[in-house]
Amino acid sequence: PLAATLTYDTLQKDDILSDVTSRLWFTYRKNFPPIGGTGPTSDTGWGCMLRCGQMILGEALVCRHLGRDWRWARGQKQREEYISILNAFIDKKDSYYSIHQIAQMGVGEGKPIGQWYGPNTVAQVLKKLAVFDTWSRLVVHVAMDNTVVIEEIKRLCMPWLDAAGACPDAEGVGELNGCLEGACALAEEEAALWKPLVLLIPLRLGLSDINEAYIETLKHCFMLPQSLGVIGGKPNSAHYFIGYVGEELIYLDPHTTQPAVEPCEDGKVPDETYHCQHPPCRMHICELDPSIAAGFFCQTEDEFDDWCMHIRRLSCNRGGLPMFELVDTQPSHMVSVDAINLTPDFSDSDRLERLFDSEDEEFEILSL
Amino acid sequence: MPPLDKAQPQNRPFKQRKSFATRRQEVAGIRSKFPNKIPVIIERYEREKYLPPLDKTKFLVPHELTVTQFVTIIRNRMALLPTQAFYLLIDNSGLASMSLTMAQVYKEHQDADGFLYMTYASQEMFGHCRRSF
Repeated sequence: PLAATLTYDTLQKDDILSDVTSRLWFTYRKNFPPIGGTGPTSDTGWGCMLRCGQMILGEALVCRHLGRDWRWARGQKQREEYISILNAFIDKKDSYYSIHQIAQMGVGEGKPIGQWYGPNTVAQVLKKLAVFDTWSRLVVHVAMDNTVVIEEIKRLCMPWLDAAGACPDAEGVGELNGCLEGACALAEEEAALWKPLVLLIPLRLGLSDINEAYIETLKHCFMLPQSLGVIGGKPNSAHYFIGYVGEELIYLDPHTTQPAVEPCEDGKVPDETYHCQHPPCRMHICELDPSIAAGFFCQTEDEFDDWCMHIRRLSCNRGGLPMFELVDTQPSHMVSVDAINLTPDFSDSDRLERLFDSEDEEFEILSL
Repeated sequence: MPPLDKAQPQNRPFKQRKSFATRRQEVAGIRSKFPNKIPVIIERYEREKYLPPLDKTKFLVPHELTVTQFVTIIRNRMALLPTQAFYLLIDNSGLASMSLTMAQVYKEHQDADGFLYMTYASQEMFGHCRRSF
């Protein structure tokens, strides 16, 4: 069973500290090779959301390769998977998720190197970079428009469902059992290979301040066993939120500039600066900037189904306001936008113009 | 820049540009003409930096239009990429639930003047003002 490590309200202080130090802590760094060959050699002042993106993805890689219960201890023998994870984030151009890769991939999202990112920006970039990480085989899905579509995620994590034409109506692995023998053989072999899912949900929970109706829901999200935490921040400062105690959020802060680290000759990485060894930072939950992205990790289809069940149950609670919607299938109009007639009715608007005073703007009339 | 001039009179929120009585009168008039449409005011968040302004503030939308469809229309209008963040907040507070129809949202959130008020915004960006590289 998964350990709900983020329910800090029920955990002892030592457990919290051990969880915090076990997280990968990515901070500003200086003196790394110039980004793009001639660009910045430090991300101080601009890289905080990029670092938070690294932290939430780092947590996903830890869950993926080491398991949620894995704990870091200073000076312990480094497992091979752990070294590989660290190497994926080292500040050089060819690491999968280095500051170099993130900053350069951001150019395609309209963010020149050195520009500030929002939670959605870094989520979109991580999604693109994960494609090249054949070691982790992650599906990084960014749910847009505060909507999570179950069918879309299942197709992404089980692409062979579409390929196995013999089972066109199959909705899930369970239903494949009754299918043709050939298709079943394929399905069974691949069923174990549900591509591990990193689900990132960028949200805006208010305009200038977080709408307090979301606070209970947000807290619940941290308690889900699949939670990877939340990236967001206070105005101008990005943080990686990993849990809460009472009305306070607990977070890792990237705003410390450390010298860039070089891997040793033997491939090991000096890792002390990648773990936050002081008590974690706290802030009142109401100080949270409304722009966030919540992250979840589902190693298996069962874990994803379990997550869906939790979210459904959560949205039935009369307490808080749901932060996002969970739907079975893509709303059809999302794909057939052309069905909507956007042409304003000119005769009507002429009439309207006569109806109302001249300084008034007209209504635009939408029709289906 | 001409587009700016055009946008100028709309800088103040709709509610501040017109008195309550005028707005209520306006809704009454339009609803009698178009009983099957819902009057919606959609405005850009005052501190929004990334999404463009819309050339229209006032919309009449069919009851059965879903929020998803409405958002799709607005997104297309702004020529946004599917990966760009866009959020529609009702009445300056909660996110609009995408699967609801506009009639359902209207029933729950219509203003006392009879309009449904929505604000759109993207996401904030995070960083420090002092750049050092």
